[in-house]
Amino acid sequence: MMNTPQQVKNPSSSLKSRFITRFLGALTKITAEDPILSSSPTRIFQRYRRIKVASNKSMAYSVRSRRIWSRAMLSRFRSRRSAFSGRRSSVKTTNCGEAMDVCNLLDETAHYIKCLTTQVQVMRKIVDFYHLSK
Amino acid sequence: MADFSEQSYRQPFPFLDIDPTMESLTQFAELNPQSFILDNSAFNFQTFFPLSINDSLFSNQASQGETMSGFIHNSNQSSVSAQPIFSAKTEVEEISNKRKALDILESSSGNSSSSSPQVSETGIKRRNNSGRGKRAKSNEKEMEKPKELVHVRARRGQATDSHSLAERVRRGKINERLRCLQDIVPGCYKTMGMALMLDEIINYVQSLQNQVEFLSMKLTAASTYYDFNSESDAMERMQRRKAEEAKELERLMREGYVGIGGVACFHSSSTYGPL
Repeated sequence: MMNTPQQVKNPSSSLKSRFITRFLGALTKITAEDPILSSSPTRIFQRYRRIKVASNKSMAYSVRSRRIWSRAMLSRFRSRRSAFSGRRSSVKTTNCGEAMDVCNLLDETAHYIKCLTTQVQVMRKIVDFYHLSK
Repeated sequence: MADFSEQSYRQPFPFLDIDPTMESLTQFAELNPQSFILDNSAFNFQTFFPLSINDSLFSNQASQGETMSGFIHNSNQSSVSAQPIFSAKTEVEEISNKRKALDILESSSGNSSSSSPQVSETGIKRRNNSGRGKRAKSNEKEMEKPKELVHVRARRGQATDSHSLAERVRRGKINERLRCLQDIVPGCYKTMGMALMLDEIINYVQSLQNQVEFLSMKLTAASTYYDFNSESDAMERMQRRKAEEAKELERLMREGYVGIGGVACFHSSSTYGPL
């Protein structure tokens, strides 16, 4: 994980650990409350969507409101909970109401990329754990 | 002394490793503890470049003659010798194409051209705010010159320059952030320009989002395959074992019951169990 000189995070409460906690909690909830008894494609697809949304949501909640993109995503989650939210739009097409000049946009992009890479890293590790432990 | 200055001219700017500090300091009004390096280098450059370069400068750009004389009138002698720094710098700019070095040189020449021997980078901004009306002329010429020279001209001290000053600060910030992104995003080269860089960044972000989707699909598969019934897992295992045993029994009965041997086979199969 990247650490800019200005933001040296306490490792116990870093973005990564917050995301891991939240995402694992959501994951266990998803796998526990809705067991797939038959391998029907719709159920599997539903679970896939829920896991994906949980992953994005966990990351947005871990960042909280400190970033423009997380605020936009959180508002989107809250307002469009029922609608099918496909792949979230890139930062550049985010419909956030805040003024976004080039400088802030680049800032947000850098932070967003960092969070995405954390997400990918953690999810990979979880998949590995699944393969290893079972 | 001359040797040292030659060296420091040929290798672009041994300050390059302390670039980030220099960048941020040129943009923010903070005292630069390293600016004394710039001062020394500025003096070195002054001794290095003879006044003949001055003349060539004047002849190349006759229109600048007025402003040059204006400079000579209004500023110290040191500023005249600072002139060649600009020209040399622009040439080096084309050679090395490093704007970092440019900023450092700008600030160094700026320091040398200031009348007060202050060591801080804020001298740049203070000079800009000093009311020198004659500089307004060079302002108009800024538009025709390439971007780097615009920086140079403005640096000379402009009263009406609040816009280009803020513009320069803003551009510096954007460049700094683009540099950070360049480090993060693979395959991003500063020589590509802003549009291409942004394209690369967008591609990278989209590929990361694709990765997240793919991994969530993988997680779904793993979770459904491995523990989709985490609570009734034991029950499942029992059921599976019973099914296996039933199959074994059938096979044995088909092949013919072989007394103790059959029983032994049956036991061994049951001890395997589901893995």
